[in-house]
Amino acid sequence: MLPHLDAAYTLAFWLTRNEDQAQDAVQEAFLRALRFFGSFRGEDGRPWLLKIVRNACYELRKRERAAGTLEGLDEQLHTPDSAAPGAVLVFPVNPEAAAIERAGRDLVHGCLRTLPHDYREAVILRELHGCSYKEIAAICGVPIGTVMSRLARGRRLLQFRIIDRTKRKDTGT
Amino acid sequence: MNCPETARLLNPYIDGELDLTTSLAIEEHVQGCARCRASLDGLQATRAAISRHCEFQAAPDSLDSGLRVRVAHEGRGGWRAALRSPVVVAAPGLAALLLAGWLVLADVMKGAGPPVATQTRVVYHISSSDTASAALRNLANHLQAAPDVKVVVVAHNNGVDFLLRGARDESDRPYEAAVKSFSQRGVEFRVCYNTLERRQIASSEVIPEATLVPSGIAEIGRLQSREGYVYMRL
Repeated sequence: MLPHLDAAYTLAFWLTRNEDQAQDAVQEAFLRALRFFGSFRGEDGRPWLLKIVRNACYELRKRERAAGTLEGLDEQLHTPDSAAPGAVLVFPVNPEAAAIERAGRDLVHGCLRTLPHDYREAVILRELHGCSYKEIAAICGVPIGTVMSRLARGRRLLQFRIIDRTKRKDTGT
Repeated sequence: MNCPETARLLNPYIDGELDLTTSLAIEEHVQGCARCRASLDGLQATRAAISRHCEFQAAPDSLDSGLRVRVAHEGRGGWRAALRSPVVVAAPGLAALLLAGWLVLADVMKGAGPPVATQTRVVYHISSSDTASAALRNLANHLQAAPDVKVVVVAHNNGVDFLLRGARDESDRPYEAAVKSFSQRGVEFRVCYNTLERRQIASSEVIPEATLVPSGIAEIGRLQSREGYVYMRL
């Protein structure tokens, strides 16, 4: 297996939410990586490659949006970073950790898939790829403070949705 | 450390992004505050749920083998060697084929058939290094007269020279700055890969503002027939 291929594919999969598109994005990204490796100076190649993958996914998404074929998932309802910068995040008194622990694979996947794009990107890079805030900032081209707030809001939203759906499942509604 | 501060720093705390003193202050606060402890539990449960259910995706074998053919070509030791090498070692034909596939895919996603042009689209064809600076002057005038025009510059043969790193015009001014400024105004520069191959120019020599297309001529044909571009030779 080529180095970083799984990492590249995982990121592309969670950003595009589609296996075929993830493959296309990864192919495009590796082509671009080849094209630019002349300017590559040998630092850890993974964040560099992930950035290219991320950009390939982003462009794919932009084209889809222009063509009006983007899935109508409920991410549009939540515009990232709409809250005032530096707003204090108040966590629920009872986050019902037990409900989260009960949540099954499909439910967690569903909640993560419908997370707004910018939040999902930060959460995936942190939780699955183990990137530091600094690496995520470099990959997404945003300041570290933005990474921090996207992660906080992304995780909070994910938590609410998992709890909400688990409860609804419990009560059969 | 109070509750709002703790709430703000809980994420960087669990991610190990804080210095030791701040981390200890958070731990001390959480010990004595049921509300913040509950927040922390919720956050950690969410992280645990992700790590339990969302494992790393294994890339399909077909993706691996397809890429492997390209990057490990010519026995250069695969991806890492390719990454360090100053010249293109990928099998150019296959790379071009995949790029062509990508362009076709992009077309399919944009919808079938030539789109109805809502703006004037012009493709500038530059095939000689002598005409590059005149072409850029024309381009500047063009954009001034018609700010909404969409221009794609396709460079092929010696016309690619002005898009290479360090290229300068007759007055010794770098082309790259001009290209960058056009590119910020929405002009796209595309370089013929066949030309690079034939002239043995490494694709890394091309400035980042320009993108590669498998064939300059095919690209001009495609822009005209599929995307409603008007052809202009300079």
